[in-house]
Amino acid sequence: MFAQMQIMVKYLVWRLFWLGDMILDRIGHLFIKFLCSIGSITLFSARAIVSGFMPPYYWKQIFHQAVQIGYFSLPVVGMTALFTGMAMTLQCYAGFSEFTAENAIPSVVMIAMTRELGPVLAALMVAGRLGAAMTAEIGTMKVTEQIDALTTLSVNSYKYLVFPRILTGTFLVPFLVLIDDIIGILGGYLVGVYYLNFNAANYIRNTLESMVTWDIVSGLIKGSVFGFVICLMGCYHGYFSKGGAEGVGRATTNSVVASSIMILLLDGVLTFVLF
Amino acid sequence: MEYVIEVENLTKSFGNNEVLREVSLKVKRGESYVVIGGSGSGKSVLIKCILGLIEPTSGVIKINGKDVAQLSQKELFKTRLKCAVLYQGGALFDSLSVIENVSFGLIYGLHVPQKEAYRIALEKLEAVDLDKSVANIYPAELSGGMSKRVALARAIATNPDIIFLDEPTTGLDPITSGIINDLIVRCTKEMGISAVSITHDINSLKHISDRVGLLFKGKIIWEGTNKELIATDDPYVVQFINGNLNGPFTATS
Repeated sequence: MFAQMQIMVKYLVWRLFWLGDMILDRIGHLFIKFLCSIGSITLFSARAIVSGFMPPYYWKQIFHQAVQIGYFSLPVVGMTALFTGMAMTLQCYAGFSEFTAENAIPSVVMIAMTRELGPVLAALMVAGRLGAAMTAEIGTMKVTEQIDALTTLSVNSYKYLVFPRILTGTFLVPFLVLIDDIIGILGGYLVGVYYLNFNAANYIRNTLESMVTWDIVSGLIKGSVFGFVICLMGCYHGYFSKGGAEGVGRATTNSVVASSIMILLLDGVLTFVLF
Repeated sequence: MEYVIEVENLTKSFGNNEVLREVSLKVKRGESYVVIGGSGSGKSVLIKCILGLIEPTSGVIKINGKDVAQLSQKELFKTRLKCAVLYQGGALFDSLSVIENVSFGLIYGLHVPQKEAYRIALEKLEAVDLDKSVANIYPAELSGGMSKRVALARAIATNPDIIFLDEPTTGLDPITSGIINDLIVRCTKEMGISAVSITHDINSLKHISDRVGLLFKGKIIWEGTNKELIATDDPYVVQFINGNLNGPFTATS
């Protein structure tokens, strides 16, 4: 009996060590994979940026991407901001009216939109709309040998495909954030004045009084960082997609998920650094 | 003898999978060399290695006498300008019109002014028997045969020394295949371009090849002229040409 128990204990200990070993092995494997991905993304972005600053410059491509990112994203970003501003005013009213603090609503909407909601929502919308489109486009080019064709036509694919997107993303997402801020505040104003019967002049005065330049600038800095990350992720996942249509689909999902996580993670980091 | 392409002992492995095993071949100026072989024998990898799209594990590749591995990025781009590729699926840029596709290498590779590039592109479209009216339509609106012609026009637009043809007649009906084969021979012979092709299409092979190499399990196991190919009693070649079920090629090989 004692001998049997001893064997069982030995077996359990062995199994425990085996399990621990397996878990450690898995964690180590994932960590190495994570480090490899970071290295690969860093090299990818460095290649794109270095090649982009070397002549010749593909102005037509840069202009095309600027229109795609800056102009065609406006409706979706604007709509999101408008309804967020409206909903926020309503939600704040429900809570603040209990403490007769309705006058603080314009300030809260202003601060929330410029510091947080403007940059994050605009970035998430751009990631969903453009990040996915970039990955799908570049991924399809990859699996149909169009990127190989670029290379064999002596065109640097990083310079032609990746750099214009990263450049315009970095400089135009802040512009979208600014539009998002304005429309979001306008949404709050519309609900406040026309639905909740706030005095229009008071609402505008309260909004302007709470406007701080650094809040707006920090939002634009965030927008710039998010724009860079969205375009980098979109291009990276597309560029390294493989396995036909299924592979492109998988890469597109990965790109949007990675961009969204990065936006939220960097938002936390940047808020910590900037405020 | 002047060779435009010299490949010596080229080996390429993906992990433990050795796709090419010490492949050696030489292509003379103006010659049309066709690589044949079963699916997965390493034909496309061979071409991609020669073009520098895939880094070989070992071996030497020389284009116009220059060792590709020794070239700087800038020199490699210059060397690539002397090469053109007709991809299996055409690889036309979806977002660009036919004329933009054909003139792409001229504008972005050779930095020819757009007006001049468009003029050359229209000439090349004519050379592949395409009407000027297709110039402004997009690849999605083209038939398979037309896509191949546009891709051929794009390939020859930069006046290359060497053209690589990756299964040029795949997916085309016999008549369109014949037209494409004819165009390939006409364009390469008229312009004095050397051609390296890979194909499964025996008719195409007979039509466009000067010399043929049979790739089997990553190694060139037979090489000879077009005439020798038809006359040979090599069991591999005979089975491949006739499509026999019995012979050294098996489903697993």
